[in-house]
Amino acid sequence: MKLIFEISEEGKRCATIRKPQIKSAKLNEKYLRKTELDLPEVSEVDFSRHYTALSRRAFGVDNGFYPLGSCTMKYNPKINEEVAGLEGFTRIHPLQSEKTVQGCMEVMHTLSSYLAEITGMDAVTLQPNAGAHGEYTGLCLIAAYHAARKDFKRTKVIVPDSAHGTNPASAVMAGFEIINVPSDEEKGVDLEALKKVVGDDTAALMLTNPTTLGLFEKNIKEISKIIHKAGGLLYYDGANLNAVMGVVRPGDMGFDVVHLNLHKTFSTPHGGGGPGSGPVGCKKELAAFLPDPRVEKTDKGYKFVESKQSIGKVASFYGNFGVYVRALAYIVALGAEGIKAAAQHAVLNANYLKVNIEDLYPTEKGRHCMHEFVVSMQELKDKTGVSAMEIAKTMIDRGYHPPTMYFPLIIHEALMFEPTETETKQTLDEVIKALREIYEEAFKDPEYMKSAPHHAQIGRPDEVKAARTPVVRYQK
Amino acid sequence: MADYLSCTERETKEMLERIGVKSLDDLFEDIPADLKLKKLNLPAGKSQQETMEYMTELSKKNKVFDIILRGAGSYDHYIPSMVKNLSSRSEFITAYTPYQAEMSQGILQAIFEYQSMICDLTGLDVSNASVYNGANAAAEAMLMCLERNRKTLVTFDNIRPDTLKVLKTYASRRGITVKVLSCKDGVADLALLKKELCETTAGVYIEQPNYFGLIEDAEEIGKLAHEAQAKFVMGCNPIALGLLKSPAECGADIAVGDAQPLGLPMAFGGPYVGFMACTSKEMRKLPGRIVGETTDHDGNRAYVLTLQAREQHIRREKAFSNICSNQAYCALVASMYLSAMGPVGLKEVAEACTDYAHYFAGLLEKEGLGRKHKGEFFHEFVTESEIPADKILRALEREGILGGLKLNAHEILWCTTETLKKEDLDRAAEIIRRVK
Repeated sequence: MKLIFEISEEGKRCATIRKPQIKSAKLNEKYLRKTELDLPEVSEVDFSRHYTALSRRAFGVDNGFYPLGSCTMKYNPKINEEVAGLEGFTRIHPLQSEKTVQGCMEVMHTLSSYLAEITGMDAVTLQPNAGAHGEYTGLCLIAAYHAARKDFKRTKVIVPDSAHGTNPASAVMAGFEIINVPSDEEKGVDLEALKKVVGDDTAALMLTNPTTLGLFEKNIKEISKIIHKAGGLLYYDGANLNAVMGVVRPGDMGFDVVHLNLHKTFSTPHGGGGPGSGPVGCKKELAAFLPDPRVEKTDKGYKFVESKQSIGKVASFYGNFGVYVRALAYIVALGAEGIKAAAQHAVLNANYLKVNIEDLYPTEKGRHCMHEFVVSMQELKDKTGVSAMEIAKTMIDRGYHPPTMYFPLIIHEALMFEPTETETKQTLDEVIKALREIYEEAFKDPEYMKSAPHHAQIGRPDEVKAARTPVVRYQK
Repeated sequence: MADYLSCTERETKEMLERIGVKSLDDLFEDIPADLKLKKLNLPAGKSQQETMEYMTELSKKNKVFDIILRGAGSYDHYIPSMVKNLSSRSEFITAYTPYQAEMSQGILQAIFEYQSMICDLTGLDVSNASVYNGANAAAEAMLMCLERNRKTLVTFDNIRPDTLKVLKTYASRRGITVKVLSCKDGVADLALLKKELCETTAGVYIEQPNYFGLIEDAEEIGKLAHEAQAKFVMGCNPIALGLLKSPAECGADIAVGDAQPLGLPMAFGGPYVGFMACTSKEMRKLPGRIVGETTDHDGNRAYVLTLQAREQHIRREKAFSNICSNQAYCALVASMYLSAMGPVGLKEVAEACTDYAHYFAGLLEKEGLGRKHKGEFFHEFVTESEIPADKILRALEREGILGGLKLNAHEILWCTTETLKKEDLDRAAEIIRRVK
């Protein structure tokens, strides 16, 4: 389809504003733009058709099954969009006086306290705008904690080889060196290897639990002991909290700092890549270092407070407030039982999908998975030449979003399925049938699959060309 | 209680049987029993109707002002109906990052169009798909400027306080010095800047217009930065770019800013969207997602996430930035806004903002609230007066007007946008007259 620039015609207008009934101001010529703007000029009907067409070439949870592992593509309840759009939330300036924004502050305070309860932490900041931003913030807290104790040797952060790529990248941004630790045979942290790398230079271990393989880290108590004995802190990457919320809390597992993803676990929509929100919780020993400002409840209502020991600000104003409104509406609707039920059914759906395909799509044997599971297509590739990616592309032809591909890095030809709790059994049964048929097809017509998808918006794009000769903007 | 589950009890039972366990709890056997939680201490769930009532009540505890004369990083602009309407399509809202290009051409093309418009506004060659907000965009730009022996960012005390705070947070963990120079009559002091620049300066960061609404002599600042072989980074208000010289015309290497004024509500501070653009020379240091054009195997035009070798999921600890999720949806809204307004509309908005600001500054001067600074200004300005700022702002607030932002006991930072009418400003001035 055409770019909006390609339907542009000089002189067309779409939105218009009132003309000011006053004398116009004259700014000094030397400050004024010399080059003409080349923004599109379209009529309203052009505008509406263009964006409708774009939306029809987008695929969201509302379009169909979206088992993108580690991303928790659960359904986004419509009521959350409606409440976030209430004028009493949208038309509020962030720098209004406190007494005129008590509702917004109550949203922030209530959500923070609910998240503290769900994670077993003592204090929560909502400020970080995404998961990786939360990681960065959490690591800054850890750095501040060690520095406040004059423990300046702690410059290293340990990261398992199965970790999300953001973990090491965030730790480097927070000024740490990275120590990678391998996984053991059960795909958990290798305890012996961990013992060898911990020491008086260990600032923290970053861990996802369940791990990125969708398995609960059984040795968590032992890991916690090893890290804490060495004087380090335990950091919880909350990307996979959907598996265990209401069942077990990071705080009770021994974690000191946690970040959450409201756009995963708490159903706020992903919007094609954001906005997310990455609240960070911590134990009371670290609370003084949280970003400024925090909301406090007093006899006279809610107040913003700052801490002398704070790491400062990590984002402007108070973070992605509109996302908090949605997440609060979600938690309020679910309540204590609903939160736990969501986790239980996320795990139920994942296991149901797994048990029905694992004879063809091999995964870790003999254990129940949590909310997601990783299969390896190595054997199929050896036999037929069809790779994990080609399975994924064939799923597109059938109208399903593929699972996460080639992650975690420690599994060859990996596909990571996370169906989430909001999918129906009927959908899962259809997907199971489709996946089993796709597997058979790999033997019958591998060549056809290697050029999949055949019925999508485009065929396989040339990514090498895109990177070698970058065209990253429209030019006439 | 809502649960958003889609499974009946009968189905749950069937599924458990198929898995080979008796209960949902059996699926969690890997979790040590002593760690398991008895019960979350949260209220019981609510029906949809009760949730609606609860959230609506909360929203009513906030005061919505009819007239807003406050900016300082969050701006009340008119949001065109077609932007609100088309952006609310759930295909846009409920999609993930477009990892699967073959089924995400709509999202990818929307980002490509957004990038193109940001390049057009800034005059620069490359834009990313957005970062968290304007302050974070500035921080990421600071990191782009670093070189082995250049680890100081020079800026002035007339940038947004939030931006400065975020810059300092990001600098502190990376051994970067943020040198904050004093401005002179509200604008960058060029003589002081020239003295400060040296072989360890990585970059110079200014805002256009600056926090006080004043227009900086950006071209001169850019020249000084480049003479010292430092990068020049401009933080811009995107509406002002409809009127003012583009960062490219001012010689900027990197332009950043918050695109909130482009169709996003104030929403108590977020979600907003940080934009970042740079010259092609800096392209491979630009953080975050970038969409590129290519062809599919039949030669049809196609869009993909590209230059991913910069990013965390490939480079892990060697990545330039840790950014993964961005503010793509807000970027979509911003690009819709720019399409709806077009070049003429954007300029009209920018001119209306300036016209009202100058008209209002004139009215305030008559009431004894003279401008603090001499320089030219866009749509914000600072006044000083004998009358305490609190008194003025309280009087306006009583009449449903959100006055400017109090900077100190006697100074106020005002902002006007096209949402206002002449009568609104006359009325505000009238209220202030009675304060004396």
